[in-house]
Amino acid sequence: MKLSFSAEDEAFREELIAFIEANCPAAGYSSGDFIGTEVSDGDGIMVIPDWAREWQAALFDNGWMIPAYGPELGGRNATPTQTLIYLEELASRGIPRSVHFVGYAIAGPSLLEFGNPDQRALAPAAIRGDTVWCAGMSEPGAGSDLANISTRAVDEGDHFKVNGQKVWTSYAMLASKCLCYVRTDPDVPKHRGISALIIDMDTPGIEVRPLRHITGQAEFAEVFFTDVLVPKRNLVGEQGDGWRITMGALAHERGGLWVEGVAGCQRSIDDILTMIKSRGRDQDKVVRRRVAELYSQVRGLRALGYKGFASFAQGTSAPEHSFMKVATSELHQTLIELAMDLQGAGLAVTDRAVAESKGRWQQSFFTGLAATIGGGTSEVQRNVIAQRVLGLPRGR
Amino acid sequence: MDFTLSDEQEMVRDTARELFTKECTIDFVRSAWKQPTLAVGLFDRHLSDWLELASADAVDLMLFALEHGRAIAPGPFFASLLAAQVASATGRDLSGSASVAVSGSDGTWTPNEDATKHFVPSAADVDEILVVSGSPDAPRLALVAQAEVALTEVEQMDRLRCQYRVDTSGVAAGESIDPAAWRHALERSLVACSAELIGVGRWLLDASVDYAKERVQFDRPIGSFQGLQWMLVDAALELERAAAAVSYAAMCIDADDSDRHRAVHGAKAEAGLAARACARTGMQVHGGIGYTFEHGLHYWLRRAYAGDAFMGPSSHHHDCLAELLFDT
Ligand SMILES: Cc1cc2nc3c(=O)[nH]c(=O)nc-3n(C[C@H](O)[C@H](O)[C@H](O)COP(=O)(O)OP(=O)(O)OC[C@H]3O[C@@H](n4cnc5c(N)ncnc54)[C@H](O)[C@@H]3O)c2cc1C
Repeated sequence: MKLSFSAEDEAFREELIAFIEANCPAAGYSSGDFIGTEVSDGDGIMVIPDWAREWQAALFDNGWMIPAYGPELGGRNATPTQTLIYLEELASRGIPRSVHFVGYAIAGPSLLEFGNPDQRALAPAAIRGDTVWCAGMSEPGAGSDLANISTRAVDEGDHFKVNGQKVWTSYAMLASKCLCYVRTDPDVPKHRGISALIIDMDTPGIEVRPLRHITGQAEFAEVFFTDVLVPKRNLVGEQGDGWRITMGALAHERGGLWVEGVAGCQRSIDDILTMIKSRGRDQDKVVRRRVAELYSQVRGLRALGYKGFASFAQGTSAPEHSFMKVATSELHQTLIELAMDLQGAGLAVTDRAVAESKGRWQQSFFTGLAATIGGGTSEVQRNVIAQRVLGLPRGR
Repeated sequence: MDFTLSDEQEMVRDTARELFTKECTIDFVRSAWKQPTLAVGLFDRHLSDWLELASADAVDLMLFALEHGRAIAPGPFFASLLAAQVASATGRDLSGSASVAVSGSDGTWTPNEDATKHFVPSAADVDEILVVSGSPDAPRLALVAQAEVALTEVEQMDRLRCQYRVDTSGVAAGESIDPAAWRHALERSLVACSAELIGVGRWLLDASVDYAKERVQFDRPIGSFQGLQWMLVDAALELERAAAAVSYAAMCIDADDSDRHRAVHGAKAEAGLAARACARTGMQVHGGIGYTFEHGLHYWLRRAYAGDAFMGPSSHHHDCLAELLFDT
């Protein structure tokens, strides 16, 4: 157990900070939430702004997109510790790598792990952001119960014919490709009949209907498939490998998320301290105690994340990480409510001209509500912890 | 003590419920979000007669406000109902819709000398404004046409009931009113707001319980998972406690009971916090579908938070209660 980083790791940090300072556009330092970055056109449909495209490409070209990968994949063969440093430095500044996470965090890594050589060749563009991807997992009947998907792909020789519907598909209206989970075999147990397909979004028979978030902005969509023909060569892995691939995809999605979760909480508690001082509440004992209590929770979670990370880096299992999504997303909601309550009667004011910090907290409140739902709900995460960490019997 | 409703009270509740079920459907609410003038039509055609509740028993007022909240009714009725409380307690007549301009920037209904009044509900959609100034011990009232004041909308979460900053510097000082009459109007208004919040929480809880029965995942209704059951039970407990506190406050007012000052502050704080809890739980139970704008759960969520803030947030009412407990 020790706190400090090696000289080599500190040099890595210095180089990264210099790169960020020289290259990150002002718009990259999001004032809102790290995960809640949303940019939209006049109709509320999300768009990818030019600065975000350029920034992602610059990260890739300089080996700063996924540092653990080799240079051909936007990395620099960084060690796990260096990856942690990287994630923390970005997250603490509120800088996103990309405004559409599916390509670099789910599709790219999944193709590299499970794809054939032709499919692996799609990964660099996915990671660089040149190709926008969406992930077709959830369906009306398959949210928490992902294995229940019913979108059907029928084997017709050299292609599959796909019929069905996906829902809450982030970026579907912008994406040119979808990593889509379909049922290829309805006659075997649920988990075994699923396959993963790469579907070009301009294939005839695909209809995308944007759905708005409660914030009013459309970031996700419903996707309908009617007799969509998908060439056999677009099957990822073998038929029936889909479940294994989704689990891999979710692990890719979750791997570094805890760092962002902790950094989001840290930025919020720091902002809360500033707000309390500016409102002259810093001598109020009750307020001080509450903030101290939450501050220590944030720091405790950071330490817990480190602890899990250390065992992970040494190749042992890291049960600590199972706690991190539930804990950081719920703590963040608590922090946001505290920040709103500190605004007194202004707690629900969203007007940028008069609200505290231009309405940052009210915006975070809405985006924060998604954090305990998307990517596996808090309840489902608790079930997983109960069974896998505490070893409790499966319940209902 | 009797918490059951009399026949007349049941009739108020049932009539209100029927009215809102028919005239204030979720489709109507969706349209009113985009086109606020529709809500003015709802007031003119179906709600203006109900302003008479201002001089009815507080229990009747509560029953109606609760249904109003459950239906997430948009528009100027609610502001007018509060204005009618003030008018009725001070012997004034209102010609139609109205709103009350009293809050300083802290949002509480504490009469003050600031020319700028904050958090004035529906001010752009009403005929008259009741400007209350002075101090709690020496309040003054001026009744002016809406056109005589300058309005600026201040956007907040609940777009179904907009709020305005009102510049009253052009308004004459107004006449003195009896502080006890002002206090009475204030307390009845707090009961109305609390009851509305209970209605908001009630809708959220009912919708979530229904959804938990219908929605199937892992081959069974999600409501059969104990983790979800306990979340809903906790929300129900908070809501029932708050609803009882609001009923108690209304009964205290009607009985002129000395506990009423404490009861109204407790009721407003409890109701705001309970509605917020039901909103959070409701969102979580609905999962992704609740996070879509189209579903509509967010209308109630928005009013739960905006309603908690309105007439002073829970923290203010806890402070008022603490003052009554410690300092008198
Ligand atoms: C902002 C956002 C973006 C998203 N982006 C994508 C995307 O890009 N691609 C994609 O495929 N999906 C996406 N999703 C969907 C997301 O993965 C699902 O919303 C999530 O998995 C939950 O499923 P559900 O919404 O159907 O809720 P349900 O599964 O219906 O859950 C409803 C409630 O039941 C509870 N519940 C369910 N099962 C259990 C259990 N066994 N025990 C206890 N409680 C239980 C849940 O916790 C929840 O409270 C997104 C969602 C959001 C909010």
